[in-house]
Amino acid sequence: MSPTMTDAPPSTPSIKRISLGAEPAAAHRNYRVIDAIRSGKTSTPEVHDSLANEEPVIRTKDFCLWYGSAKAIHEVSMSIPRGRVTALIGPSGCGKSTLLRSVNRLNDLIDGVRVSGDMLLNDDPIYSPHVDVIDLRKRLGMVFQKPNPFPKSIYENVVYPLRIDGERRKAVLAEACERCLKAAALWEEVKDRLHESALGLSGGQQQRLCIARAIVAEPEVLLMDEPCSALDPIATLRIEELIHEVSQRYTVLIVTHNMQQAARVSDYTAFMYLGRLVEYGRTADLFQNPRLNETEDYVTGRFG
Amino acid sequence: MLERTGWGIWLGTPRAIYTVALSPLDESKPFEPESTIDLDGRPARVVRDIVESGDVRQLRTRTYLSEGEAETWKAFPSLHAEALARRAEIRTLEKHDIGAINDQIAHAQIALRAVEIAHARNATLRRLSLPLWALIAAGAAACAAIAVVIGRRLSDLPPTRRGFRPVLGRRVAVVLAMGLGLAAWLERPWGNAPVSDAQLAAAREANERTLAELNTQYETTLARKNELARHDESFRVEFVDASGAIAPRAQSSPGDPLALSQIVRAVRANELSATEKLGVYLSRWNEFLTDDPRESNSEGGVFPVIFGTVTMTLLLSILVVPLGVIAALYLREYASQGVITSILRIAINNLAGVPSIVFGMFGLGFFCYTLGGYIDRGPDRALQLAPGIWWIWAAAAVLVVLASLAFAMLSRPVPGQPATSRHRWLGFFTAGFWFAAFALAVFLVAHTPYFHGFFEAKPSETFRGRGLLWASLTLALLTLPVVIVATEEAIAAVPRTMREGSYGCGASKWQTIWRIVLPGAMPGIMTGMILAMARGAGEVAPLMLVGAMKLAPELPFSSSFPFIHADRSFMHLGFHIFDLGFQSPDSEAARPLVWTTTLLLITIVFFLNLAAIFIRSRLRARGGGASI
Repeated sequence: MSPTMTDAPPSTPSIKRISLGAEPAAAHRNYRVIDAIRSGKTSTPEVHDSLANEEPVIRTKDFCLWYGSAKAIHEVSMSIPRGRVTALIGPSGCGKSTLLRSVNRLNDLIDGVRVSGDMLLNDDPIYSPHVDVIDLRKRLGMVFQKPNPFPKSIYENVVYPLRIDGERRKAVLAEACERCLKAAALWEEVKDRLHESALGLSGGQQQRLCIARAIVAEPEVLLMDEPCSALDPIATLRIEELIHEVSQRYTVLIVTHNMQQAARVSDYTAFMYLGRLVEYGRTADLFQNPRLNETEDYVTGRFG
Repeated sequence: MLERTGWGIWLGTPRAIYTVALSPLDESKPFEPESTIDLDGRPARVVRDIVESGDVRQLRTRTYLSEGEAETWKAFPSLHAEALARRAEIRTLEKHDIGAINDQIAHAQIALRAVEIAHARNATLRRLSLPLWALIAAGAAACAAIAVVIGRRLSDLPPTRRGFRPVLGRRVAVVLAMGLGLAAWLERPWGNAPVSDAQLAAAREANERTLAELNTQYETTLARKNELARHDESFRVEFVDASGAIAPRAQSSPGDPLALSQIVRAVRANELSATEKLGVYLSRWNEFLTDDPRESNSEGGVFPVIFGTVTMTLLLSILVVPLGVIAALYLREYASQGVITSILRIAINNLAGVPSIVFGMFGLGFFCYTLGGYIDRGPDRALQLAPGIWWIWAAAAVLVVLASLAFAMLSRPVPGQPATSRHRWLGFFTAGFWFAAFALAVFLVAHTPYFHGFFEAKPSETFRGRGLLWASLTLALLTLPVVIVATEEAIAAVPRTMREGSYGCGASKWQTIWRIVLPGAMPGIMTGMILAMARGAGEVAPLMLVGAMKLAPELPFSSSFPFIHADRSFMHLGFHIFDLGFQSPDSEAARPLVWTTTLLLITIVFFLNLAAIFIRSRLRARGGGASI
């Protein structure tokens, strides 16, 4: 199941057990947190101590989100460490994408969304009446599941965040474009056709273009919502390399449903289930030494 | 075969071309019946004889420029070209020079009439006393200064951190400054000074002097033109038909031969080769497309008609696209999707089904009579309020605007929190106040004693009658639903992922719309514009009421300010077809022109569509495949 790779990122934990068949073992095991969730009692997630030493860039405290009357995120309290890659994993519908989109308040675009609790970006509250949402979004960069370049030229795509900020000096824009395309490992491929339409690129190239666009404004956090799920394995590989390089300079928060990817790419992993945080700690610990049964079963593929 | 400017075709052969001069007969002096003079190095025969018209006997001198069929045919092209050049020169004199003088005379008369009207208004004038006016002006300045000061203090803070009271205070100051400024401007002591009797007398004197000057200019130019016309008339050609009669200059005098400049085209029909026939055919097409109509539209060309149609279609598309795009943007992006938007969409769809003559009636009643009448002469006597009462209504309008501003600010919920019912009620009242403010503004403008129309001094109607502007506006309304629906579809087709990508980069809603949504929707908007132009170019019924004429004396463009005369009537292809087919005195003669004009109309609409499809496919290629 693990694809062979030429340049593996340094910390690749080995998966403990690989399960191929469906084992009806879930019924017998003791799922402390999940049983508490299912029976409606409050559950405290397992947050490893390794996180206490890290400086947080995003902190949430009892963060809740409702879609209308349906509660999607239940009292999530976590802190995302600065300068690291943090992955959010969990089965479909567990709220990881919702949590990610809450960070740059993209959920405001949906009618009927209500939040409570605190979320802080560098100790600035995100959901407070005085917050300028546009300003907040400029401090964050986002990459989506399906690559979404604009129907403009490659150059215009990359400098779009600078243009809407009012930057018009050609020298500044050109320099930023080159820097970010190089960082996204796309420069060599497109430097001769910067003014051609971005829609002429392949899927993987488009996603790298979107990553370049996301980092051009020097964001504080780079948010990635399943960036490789629409790409083929080779393109996925290149994106993962890119994430590794990019993480030297930026904090990355990545949502993925692919556990092996989480294992390859991230420093810290948070496992979510049914809108709640179940376990959160170093990737190596979570995959090799999970504290909860449900975590172990999930990462080995027993359920989800 | 001879094509004449009037009375159609004459079949015959030319016999001679000569110039005719009539002079009074001196019975006592004998004259030479025949002699030869030297004309440009060639001998030319001169024949003199006596003609009687009524009981006047005159001496007629004919100088033959060519005689005999062969020589005449040879000399004909160059002489005819000269005659046409003379005719063109006469027309230029008429249109431009004499026309310009007439314009100046009209302007002088209008200027005098304006002074007379201002003088007559003296009696009803009531000026505000100067100290009171100074107080109002100072108040306006003070409010403006307060607004600027508060604005400076607020601009240091980000928009979301500004307090309620300073923002409301600045808005109140701005509204008050605008209201008091309007009062100061309307009641200004300079510029509205009454016209004294002495000034009126002086204006009258100046007018008389100008008129005298212009009249002398007119006389000289007219004399020149008449001289040219006389000279031109003297060139005659004798065309003899099978029975020996010559083509007459006028039906009433069959012996008077045709003038050279009355001939449009003369061809030796039986001796034309195939290429020459093609040449004649093409020259007829050229005449059709570039000449003015003659003979109450049954002969000649349709150039002014083409011009009018194309101008109106262009003006129509300039008006309809912004209106339609803004409406569609509001419906799709800004309005909350609920009962109101559904009702609006149903209304727009119904608008598309309204018969076009109803639009014509609406255009006539609202645009021509109401709006046009207002532009021309201001409010009717019956509608003008006394200044005091008008200001009371104006003060009420200011209060309503202030109330709506306050309510608007209170009805905005804290971002991130849902709106409570209190917010909804406040928003409802805000909307009510805005409507009331708008209604009051319309009322104040319609009943103002300060505006007397832009064309009050002109005795004839300017904008109150039919014209290019109202016709284009009416047709723009008629084709509006098409543009709105096409634009809405195009905007909805822009994928949500693209919008989210833009928001993710930190763009505001308007930036997303302007940079991503509208360019992506442009092919659909072009589609809407094509459909609107194609529909509008062919609609005739509203134009019969609102703008088109059987024969427009001049094009809507001119070389004098303001270059585009949107108040002039114009000619339109669809209306022209109707007029030729059913309203011309000789429908048999007009029949060929009906078919040709129909062909032309279809071709123009076809090429309009083609051009817009080309533009759309270019935009689509550049945009990389949008969905419509």
